[in-house]
Amino acid sequence: MSGTMLLPIHAERQRRLYALLQEEGAEALFLRETLQLCREVLGVDDLAAYLEGDDGYESCARLGSADFPPSLARGLAIPWPSQPLSGGILLTGTEVAEELPHPLGLLLALGLRLCRLRQSVKRLDFDAKYRGVEREAIYDVGLALTSTLDLSQVSEEILLRAVSLLDARRGALYLRDDSAGAHQGRYRLQSTIGGTAREGLAVGVAAETADLLPQARYLLAVPIEVDEEPRGVLVVGDKESRSGVGPFPDEDRRALSLFANQAALALEQARLHQEALEKQRLEREMELAAQIQQGILPRALPALPGHEVLGWTRPARHVGGDYWDVVPLPDGRFAMLVADVSGKGVSAALLVSTLHSALRLLLARGESTPGMLQAVNQHLIEFSASNKFVTLLLVALDAATGELVYVNAGHNPGVLLRRDGTLELLGASSVPLGLLQGPAYGEKTIGLEPGDLLCLYSDGVTEASSPTDEEWGLGRLQRLLRDHQTAPLAEVRSVLDRALRDFGAGAAQGDDQTVVLLRRSTAPPAPA
Amino acid sequence: MTESLKVRVDRRDGLAVVNTEGYINNQGGEEIAQAANSLIEEGYRTLLLNLAGSKIVNSIGISILIEVLERMLELQGRLAFCNLTPTIQKTFHIMGLTQYAQVYPDEATALSELLSAAAPPAGT
Repeated sequence: MSGTMLLPIHAERQRRLYALLQEEGAEALFLRETLQLCREVLGVDDLAAYLEGDDGYESCARLGSADFPPSLARGLAIPWPSQPLSGGILLTGTEVAEELPHPLGLLLALGLRLCRLRQSVKRLDFDAKYRGVEREAIYDVGLALTSTLDLSQVSEEILLRAVSLLDARRGALYLRDDSAGAHQGRYRLQSTIGGTAREGLAVGVAAETADLLPQARYLLAVPIEVDEEPRGVLVVGDKESRSGVGPFPDEDRRALSLFANQAALALEQARLHQEALEKQRLEREMELAAQIQQGILPRALPALPGHEVLGWTRPARHVGGDYWDVVPLPDGRFAMLVADVSGKGVSAALLVSTLHSALRLLLARGESTPGMLQAVNQHLIEFSASNKFVTLLLVALDAATGELVYVNAGHNPGVLLRRDGTLELLGASSVPLGLLQGPAYGEKTIGLEPGDLLCLYSDGVTEASSPTDEEWGLGRLQRLLRDHQTAPLAEVRSVLDRALRDFGAGAAQGDDQTVVLLRRSTAPPAPA
Repeated sequence: MTESLKVRVDRRDGLAVVNTEGYINNQGGEEIAQAANSLIEEGYRTLLLNLAGSKIVNSIGISILIEVLERMLELQGRLAFCNLTPTIQKTFHIMGLTQYAQVYPDEATALSELLSAAAPPAGT
């Protein structure tokens, strides 16, 4: 055969070749058609065209039944009779002339070139689409963070995405085990993909030197940090390509850091969720404590012949440090008291509980007021914190005569508004309870006349403050009592509550507010 | 997760099911391609890839699956997938696989749809 002979390309074949040239995706068919022409011209049954690539030659089209290999490594001896082509190699099953007849070599080179272009287009198309997969993955991980608070689920999701997007063969995610101590802890294995991973790693050891993925030849590791504090490690191993595995390029470190940041967010979110749960639990306990405390305040008041009495408390928090009570005494009189424990909240409420128990027991025994208060004082000194004390105004009323005996242990002065409008104060006669050993609790006696109104209160009332830090003050309380001297006590209460609320103008209540009102009726008591 | 992907083939009248377990990466993709090529050699022209045991695929794995799909299309065969995780399904959709390969929620649905259309393997 001569290299200059003309080829018998019939009109039908020409049409077919032209049609295939114009059809997108028919590049391999064009090459195959050209091989068919080769077969006829060269008179050989088995042919294969190989496209030159980076690492060698890849089979592009073949005819016949010969066992041609799918690829040929560059530099290896080619086992079949072969013809070099521009951009590739033609293998044939039997010996052919060294030079392909004109223009057969040209047609084959054109077919190979078309296949090469087709491959490039497909590669570009694949890469463009895969950028879309990467964008979606980042978006999905963000979504996963907002849709679940399960840390292990989010960790696994993050690891899956990191390993797949970086084309890593394997990977692992480690989180710090806080149970082992915040600063001396270890990272424990949270999740792994593609093989075995070490169970743990000491905090502070460089992850890339720790052989975390024993089967990996190449490692890339980044820290997971929350507020610049190390909380974990994200590690991937062996970057894959079609020809095997290799090291990760620099840009992969940035991508992996992005996933580590997502993991850090997940950790932070899980921690905040735990905190929120804890807060909820505390709120529930506080509500329970408030219910318990409500239980020790009087629910129904004893009937005081010839007198009206009303008391209430508004704690500043769930539970408060104020306490009030109205208790019948064994000698027929009635004790009324308002007490204020130093501090607020739970610690104050616990002391209120102690005070309530002690006072109730001692009042029921009919102890004298000074003796009873001395016992309570001693009890508080022995069993409560040294900075805790209680102010208290306790009155004992003989309802039949209106005689009223009182002790004021460091408490705000009670306000007695006489029927004629004059005011008297039931001032402090001793120091608060729980401060000093063995003080004297001196009693004072006054008489209530019909129409007289007595108001016991805690400092949360007179020291209620406005948004400009002005105190409501004793003067306003006295004016309010005077303005409503004969009004029903329930009305006095609502006016007082409203006045305090208006004065606070929406600001949070600073302290517990407690009031007990007692009025001696103007009408004589009904006979028993 | 184990080191490499495991493949199990169920041959049925007219189609073959390739079940995978593990990471569809370079190695995993080649395992699948090898199984698919053997089935094609046996004459099967309808293949169902059941990916219930695979939660993760990378770009190399996808490119190999695309080659398997192209080969099936060249032979005028069908390639279908079932039991894809939402992530893998979305990836296949973006990469254009779902334009040419059917996706079914589970194997039972896939089999009932494919068997009604599939021809028995040539030579059997």
